[in-house]
Amino acid sequence: MEQLIEQLKSQIIEALNFEDMTPADIDTDAPLFGEGLGLDSIDALELIMLMDREYGIKLADPKAGKAIFQSVRTMAEYIQANRTK
Amino acid sequence: MRIAITGIGAVSAIGMNCAEMLQSLLNERSGIGRMNQLGSVHTELPVGEVPYSDAELRNIAGVSGEPMPRTSLLGLIAAREALAMADRTCDAFISGTTVGGMDLTEQHWYEYAGGKATENIHLHEAGESTNAIAKHLGNFGFIATPSTACSSALNAIMLGANLLRTGQARAALVGGAESLSMFHLNGFNTLMILDHQPCRPFDAGRNGLNLGEGAGYIVIESEEEAVARGATILGYIGGCANTCDAYHQTASSADGEGAFRAMQGAIQMAGLQPADIDYVNAHGTATLNNDLSESAALLRLFGNRMPSVSSTKAFTGHTTSASGGIEAVVCLLAMQHGFVPANLNWSNTAEGLIVPTTCTTKQHLKHVLCNAFGFGGNESSLLLSAEGIDLPTAEYTLGLTAFCQAAITDDSEVSRYISAAEGRRMTPQTRRIVVAARQVMEESGITMPDAIVCATQWGCMLQSMRFLQDMLDTDEQQLKPTPFIQSTHNTIASMIAIMTGNHGYNSTYAQGRQSYECAMADISAQMSLGLIRSALVLEFDEQVEVWDRVLATIGDKTHAIARATLFVKKD
Repeated sequence: MEQLIEQLKSQIIEALNFEDMTPADIDTDAPLFGEGLGLDSIDALELIMLMDREYGIKLADPKAGKAIFQSVRTMAEYIQANRTK
Repeated sequence: MRIAITGIGAVSAIGMNCAEMLQSLLNERSGIGRMNQLGSVHTELPVGEVPYSDAELRNIAGVSGEPMPRTSLLGLIAAREALAMADRTCDAFISGTTVGGMDLTEQHWYEYAGGKATENIHLHEAGESTNAIAKHLGNFGFIATPSTACSSALNAIMLGANLLRTGQARAALVGGAESLSMFHLNGFNTLMILDHQPCRPFDAGRNGLNLGEGAGYIVIESEEEAVARGATILGYIGGCANTCDAYHQTASSADGEGAFRAMQGAIQMAGLQPADIDYVNAHGTATLNNDLSESAALLRLFGNRMPSVSSTKAFTGHTTSASGGIEAVVCLLAMQHGFVPANLNWSNTAEGLIVPTTCTTKQHLKHVLCNAFGFGGNESSLLLSAEGIDLPTAEYTLGLTAFCQAAITDDSEVSRYISAAEGRRMTPQTRRIVVAARQVMEESGITMPDAIVCATQWGCMLQSMRFLQDMLDTDEQQLKPTPFIQSTHNTIASMIAIMTGNHGYNSTYAQGRQSYECAMADISAQMSLGLIRSALVLEFDEQVEVWDRVLATIGDKTHAIARATLFVKKD
């Protein structure tokens, strides 16, 4: 799990163009939207695409992302349970 | 001056001319169905296609020999109808588009990238797709291509009206054209806003839009001239307004601020009250966000005296840049024949949504509003009237002073003007134009100019090329939304409005190397009419290696520019 979390942080930094950040800058349990990283609805679409591309998870309903993307940890847990690659 | 409409022409999934479209509207026959013409793998997505291949359209349009984008073919057919009905020549042709010749670029990309020189390459330019229509129609003294995504055609009509009011044109052919492309079908798909069923505007269960294609134009001239030559007057332009929602690159604000201001502005220009409006042809795309936001704006403006409202997107699909032209024609047909077009596929309401007119309903229509809203919050509303409405005129004066200018060619000041969070999605050249804009606003002290207008030859090419190549290389799978969102020509002007909270006039011209002249004609007319007192003009083009390699095959190249100029009205 810890390895997946670290990998996911790197993938988030790349997908969302946080050029000056490193995985250490992202708190695993901090909220991704609103406070924390301050992500928005475009980022949510990018994260949905990231899960499809890297882990073979397809979300048909963008609203489903809300619960999954609470933090890096919740996202990693969802990936662990649902990944197809 | 009373601006009379003496010709209309339209092509869409529900008809190849106005007469066919009228029959479809009256008979509630939708044109949305299975994809037959567009060569996308996403055949699961219903679309509103014009049911002819490019070759068939060439025959219908009488085009032989030269390559022509589908956008131009659709535009030519509709423009000819409008001109024939008006039975006159026009000295201005203003046609909105965003797709331009993207269809040819995506079909021929591997030939282009492989170094095969072809004249098709230049047709990628939005302005060239307009020129391709123009050269079949005669001589126009003025040609412009507004490109504000889905509000482009209404902004074309608005510029035409302003040219007439300042005596810069006697008659103008105005509207827009847009074909379907794999590019924007995939782009909207990455935003997860395409319904896999026929769209259901304003319905509680709506789940996105269907894309459509087509073209719509009107011919405008002074009532005086129309009467003098004995022309039939089909209606009048009563008012129009362009505002920026200044909220988000692709989403509309919850309170519909931009839409509210646009509709209110059009009504005020006409000297009318909201209670005078009989019908609103809503933007009504059937996305969760648009319909709620537009409903909020309609409820704010009309309260409990809601006029008839319908979206005709369930007939035609969302024809994006052409929608304002096609729907203006729909409004004029409805006014002439005394009916409210049906809002198809509606069954249930939900909190916050307006209740549309769901079947063709006989009603005398005196004043109607036509809405078109685009990415970046580029919102426009047009008021059409059955009776003449006097609009002030002005002598055209080039009474502009370039108050302050900045041209940025390096990144030395990026960190001073743009935070890391703000800049993370911007291309390097986008950051430079933002620096230029912020610098001139800071130095001039005019932090909230009345208008922001961008002039660009190629538009946002880096993100366009990224999205195009990913789309073709991955066979339309797993595309990232950000490059698409930032691929539209109006990205720059709307982004600056969003960053500075500017709800004022916001537009973009993509007329090749004449884009700057188009922007100046627009703001000069508006200043002459007293509609604006200050304007920020942005000149933007970015150098993109892959596109430069393509252009090199025909001996051309891109010219990078990031220059902002603040103009103020000379007293």
